[in-house]
Amino acid sequence: MRHLKAALLLFVGLLAAEESRTNPHTSPADVAAGEKTFHSHCAPCHGYRAEGGRGPNLAAGRFYHGSSDADILKNISEGIPGTEMPGLFYNEDRVWQLVAFIRSLSANAIKPAGNAEAGASLFRSQGCSGCHTIRGEGGSAGPDLSAVGAARSVDNLKLSIVDPSAEVQPQFWTVRFEDAAGKTMQGFLLNEDTYTVQLLDRDGSLRTYEKTSLKNYAIDKRSTMPSYRDKLSSGQLDDLLTYLWSQRPQ
Amino acid sequence: MKRIVLAFCLASSLAAQVTSEKLLAAAAGGTDWLTYSGNYRGWRHSSLDQINRQNAARLSLEWAYQMPTTHFVETTPLVVDGIMYVSEPPSNVVALDAKTGRPYWRYRRQLPKRINVCCGQVNRGVAVLGNRVFVGTVDAHLVALDARTGSVLWDVQVADYSTGHAITGAPLIVKDMVICGIGGGEYGIRGFLDAYDAATGKRRWRFWTIPEPGQPGSETWQGDAWKTGGAPTWITGAFDAAQNLLIWGTGNPSPDWNGDVRPGDNLYSDSAIALDVDTGRMKWYFQFIPHDVHDWDAVQVPVLVDAEWKGQPRKLVYWAHRGGFFYVLDRETGKFLFGKAFAKQTWAKGLDDSGHPMVLPNTEPSTEGTYIWPGVQGATNWYSPSYSPLTKLFYLSYWENRSIYRKGDQEYTAGNRYIGSVPLIDLPGDLGHGGVRALNPQTGERIWEYKLETKPWAGVLSTAGQLVFGGSDEGYLFTLDAETGKELWRQNLGGMIRANPITYVANGKQLVSIAAGNAIFTFGLR
Repeated sequence: MRHLKAALLLFVGLLAAEESRTNPHTSPADVAAGEKTFHSHCAPCHGYRAEGGRGPNLAAGRFYHGSSDADILKNISEGIPGTEMPGLFYNEDRVWQLVAFIRSLSANAIKPAGNAEAGASLFRSQGCSGCHTIRGEGGSAGPDLSAVGAARSVDNLKLSIVDPSAEVQPQFWTVRFEDAAGKTMQGFLLNEDTYTVQLLDRDGSLRTYEKTSLKNYAIDKRSTMPSYRDKLSSGQLDDLLTYLWSQRPQ
Repeated sequence: MKRIVLAFCLASSLAAQVTSEKLLAAAAGGTDWLTYSGNYRGWRHSSLDQINRQNAARLSLEWAYQMPTTHFVETTPLVVDGIMYVSEPPSNVVALDAKTGRPYWRYRRQLPKRINVCCGQVNRGVAVLGNRVFVGTVDAHLVALDARTGSVLWDVQVADYSTGHAITGAPLIVKDMVICGIGGGEYGIRGFLDAYDAATGKRRWRFWTIPEPGQPGSETWQGDAWKTGGAPTWITGAFDAAQNLLIWGTGNPSPDWNGDVRPGDNLYSDSAIALDVDTGRMKWYFQFIPHDVHDWDAVQVPVLVDAEWKGQPRKLVYWAHRGGFFYVLDRETGKFLFGKAFAKQTWAKGLDDSGHPMVLPNTEPSTEGTYIWPGVQGATNWYSPSYSPLTKLFYLSYWENRSIYRKGDQEYTAGNRYIGSVPLIDLPGDLGHGGVRALNPQTGERIWEYKLETKPWAGVLSTAGQLVFGGSDEGYLFTLDAETGKELWRQNLGGMIRANPITYVANGKQLVSIAAGNAIFTFGLR
């Protein structure tokens, strides 16, 4: 029994040590070396700026398979079972440099300097909440923004406010057509295959149609959101950005 | 006693007796599915016609078999005397009752912690000879299993997995040998094709797809680039019994998208190679793309057809290559006879008289990115084409899309990616589309097209019922009229199809099987 206790203590101790391991290679030179490795080995799936692609975005500071330095080291070294993520056959020092580079992407992100409370007020008064939901409150005509601060950079958020059509996710493209009865329908294109289309219509209903029954089928890849370029002062824009940036997973 | 009797009955029912003669006879059709492509000629065609144009609309699910895996399922099942042998990713094998889908046994491969396979830990199928089932593994072993129990009869290391070697393709049985290819074109391996004694696992021969200094073809490499030059062999080839020739495709040179470190044509990457099956000696080769810098492997199933060519009977190879051209080669010499684009391509003006591409300027990957059709995954890929001797048409799944090809830093370190690029494979908002096309192989003319919203990773199967079966990323299995391309039936299987369909007979009933999502689905007439 004593041996068992000792073994358990050792095991728990090792676990704690593993979790608390921090990156010993975080100098600017390490980050630069990590960037080079990232571009030759990781970018094909995760994107040149780690913005995501075949693999997830690594620049937002959110990691779905563990977010400690030790977790990231393990995932890079061993791969992630059940995914396409392979392991790297590099020594630990070199993988730590990669961890340093990945961390630098979110650590260096610009933080907005406005007032979050004022931004929350603007969010309501400028009509944003009519289309966007934050933690269950608001409309459904646009993306749910409950965790948008963790998923998007400040620059990207700003772009979405001043030029909403610059980057529109496919599920917010608008599909328009006439149904079999000749009625014009419109909604967000949630999904589409060769034969059917799935949409969220303007009444908030989920609908599926057989494409063969539709006329004048067209997809508009522009955003339905108006630009706020001339509607907000520079200070108001900062306040709104600060509020949105503060929206993180609970 | 009851258990002993049961065990005896089970053993009797599992007496899979595939002989080399039976494999040769598969060229004429049959009720089983004995090799990866259904016959040695790479046709993926069945002479079964119980399911046909008149009744295909009555296809209905017979059974489904769910696999305990989260990896992509790219397997082609084999069916032998009522038993279906299926590889499960990463490198497991299961024997199922082909009539009900109920499992008899499973071989579970114990794998090392770190396995590097470029595009998922997948497996595309097994081979069967006598009472043995053969499977290649992602840790680069070839394993022989007892077809009655799944127990290991022998297990040989083909290559070192820690240097990027992996086996994902199905082996091919020829005579008493197991022919086995290798993957690792994204890891700077030196490719090869092997033959093993089916009884003992002893290697009979190895053909290196990159010649070493002093050998013919070595002049197409400089320095030590040949040691890390790629040219893998990860898709099952074909066998020309009359000439005793294996016809096999080779993959990209390494690094994929940065050719600066490997000047020259880089033989025998991106090539069709013809080897004497007894010795492994090369009889001929045809390189589709000298010095490829776009990752357009020639890892397609060669389709071997004896047909009239310009009024004379000739042994031919039909080949729809990833770079977007359809080729006809002479099977006795490897000579180029004909080529024509089957999908949009913007990298070549065309093919010259010898079949070499007339490459357009400014089509190489660049640091700022170069837009080229077809995309990184090609105008077609590893998924199987089909040839029907009834329609004399060549069927294939195609892609119409483009990518941004970027040249990036490259550095070789054993076991890690060696690709030299950061390509943007799919352009957001411009994903392209795909579908199934029927070509007249004598002219390259498109006879019909079945267009899909998405780009399929599924192969095609033609049958004497004048049907072509195919699948989509969307999860639909469909069957088309082989002469017109008209859709006759479709079914949503709820998971991406990245596999080839097969057909066989169980209890007198023709069935069609395909993997979708993480399951095998089998359909018959109701």
